Amino acid sequence: MTSLVQPPARFRERARITLGHKGVQEMIDSGTAHLFARRLEAWADLPDVEATRERAREIRTRTIGDLDRYLADFGAALGARGGNVVFCRSAEEARRYIVDVCVAHDAKLVAKTKSMATEEIGLNEALVDAEINVVETDLGEYLIQLAGEHPTHIIGPAIEKTEEDAAAVLSQVEGVELPPEPQGLLRAARRQLRDVFLHADVGVTGVNFGVAETGSICLVTNEGNGRLVTSLPRVHVAVMGMERVVPTLEDLSVLLQLLPRSAGGQKLSVYTTLLTGPRRKNESDGPEELHVVIIDNGRSNLRGGRYEEMLNCIRCGACLNVCPVYRKAGGGAYSDVYSGPMGAVLVPLLAKVEHAPSLPHASSLCGACTESCPVKIPLHELLLELRRDLVDEGIASRRERLGFLLWSLAWSNARTYRLSARLARRFTPLAARFGPGRNWSKERELPRFASRSYREL
Amino acid sequence: MHPGPRAVSRVQLFATCLGDLVFPQAVADAATLLAACGVEVEFPSAQVCCGQPAFNAGHRSAARRVGRTFARAFSRNLPIVVPSGSCAAMIALRLPELLGCEPYTVFELSAFLDDASVPLEQVNEATEVGYHASCHMLRELHIDAAPKRLLERTGATIVPLRRPDLCCGFGGTFSVRQPEVSVAMADDKLASAPGTAALVTADPGCLMQLSSRSARIGGTPVVHLATALARGMRAAA
Repeated sequence: MTSLVQPPARFRERARITLGHKGVQEMIDSGTAHLFARRLEAWADLPDVEATRERAREIRTRTIGDLDRYLADFGAALGARGGNVVFCRSAEEARRYIVDVCVAHDAKLVAKTKSMATEEIGLNEALVDAEINVVETDLGEYLIQLAGEHPTHIIGPAIEKTEEDAAAVLSQVEGVELPPEPQGLLRAARRQLRDVFLHADVGVTGVNFGVAETGSICLVTNEGNGRLVTSLPRVHVAVMGMERVVPTLEDLSVLLQLLPRSAGGQKLSVYTTLLTGPRRKNESDGPEELHVVIIDNGRSNLRGGRYEEMLNCIRCGACLNVCPVYRKAGGGAYSDVYSGPMGAVLVPLLAKVEHAPSLPHASSLCGACTESCPVKIPLHELLLELRRDLVDEGIASRRERLGFLLWSLAWSNARTYRLSARLARRFTPLAARFGPGRNWSKERELPRFASRSYREL
Repeated sequence: MHPGPRAVSRVQLFATCLGDLVFPQAVADAATLLAACGVEVEFPSAQVCCGQPAFNAGHRSAARRVGRTFARAFSRNLPIVVPSGSCAAMIALRLPELLGCEPYTVFELSAFLDDASVPLEQVNEATEVGYHASCHMLRELHIDAAPKRLLERTGATIVPLRRPDLCCGFGGTFSVRQPEVSVAMADDKLASAPGTAALVTADPGCLMQLSSRSARIGGTPVVHLATALARGMRAAA
């Protein structure tokens, strides 16, 4: 089952693997650079991007500050339009509810759109365990599912995959060898997925925003699969993080100026869908039932505290595209769900920092993430706070704490500082054999301490 | 608001720990350049380090203990010049909160030199260089044009880096916690200005990271801005 708990060694181990694949490195580099450049263009196209970001930040902060009220409003409005709204504290609760809905409808096949919330709760595994067939219908996510992997970018799940990789997995379904040619592969995927849309009993989507005043759910998609998944199956289940609510349609319009621009450099995504309740009596389209599953899954940990701003995140992926660490390490290093700077902050907060202790340190604190965030979350500052928690809560290793203690004592006055410098000069070669010195010098020369420091010149 | 370098007659020089111990020549070059501006340079002898290594690793009490050496060594009555973007950012933006003290008047070296219109020789005539912006200098202090302007005044031609926004991979303890990613980031940076005489940076942290990697793989020489301005790339290499 997908878990947000990350073993301490995961980041380094997975990053090493990604660094070793030249092709993967090139895919990440070109993919992120492309999205980065497109975002800058799209931002520049707004009359006053800074004012829009500030307004978006204000909307998000106000909403999170009064979240219970807006969630209640959202639930009441959607309930009045015939939707079922359920609030789930844990991933387990959410999985069970959705599986129960599927079982109640005797569902054999579930069609999904790309949704990080469903990745987070491990929905696919739960459905498979209940012997329900589930198929991802976003192209990138479909490729990832066929490969038996997890998304490595929250917007472009298959960012590390080449045309050859796509051809390999699609050929297996097709039963014939497909050439690695984009148009042909697209046709094959479309053919394969058409059957899924037509035969699915339940459609599962995420939710980009839930609008409190109307009870609408907003989906931002590009491939058209979102519309098919929410209109053809008898039942629609939408999974929404509890923070994804916005008060009004007007607030939504502000956030919609920034989300597609920041994600893929689009003024508007190809499809922006607003769904307000299931099909009504006089309507011919839409599902008979709509369930909106709101998940907490650790989000309440952030409320009212130093990390509350992280709940403002609109999952655009802009911070991944500018991050020099993500660019080399790849998304898989962070977790099976969220990656890049937003993942390095969010995963330790949702799972508790002791369960993902390497992630706050998976950053050089360069600040590019903070600069790129459309809702101005100070991501690198939050990483710094998490590092502080690791120390203050005694999670940082004893060796590390002892090291900094001794260092700070030695450098607490100029006399002992000079003494430590003399010792460092003398024992530099020895340092290359232990701990940090070894990690430094494996692929770099050890810094040579000058025979005379500046003050001795 | 401080009136700025033009009105200054004396400054305190903060060598920084890396400057003092690993790159003393760069600090000496910084002192030479400051003297050329006509300011008297004081070197408070009790100085050690601003505490940034511990601060960025989350060890606040260790950072505070070391940061206090800075507060003890430096007077609040004279501006402080720092040949390091990240240490200048630490002193300007973090130290007051960490120590519960009043803010300091602190200048990153190139910002000071640029504003004081430092006299410069044509030591880099017909030399192509790359300039690597330190992240904290760029994103926290917003200093980017000054160092380039100064380099151009020494006759250097600045070749734009492929991705000037990318970090060099140092990041303090990040460099030893994630050595493989850190080195890969350095490699990208070193490869991003092919054919230039050197990469110039105004931060001893970036300088240590990039020059240590460059020395291992025989890559582009990496030079501190102060050295590049005072003696030129050729003298430094």
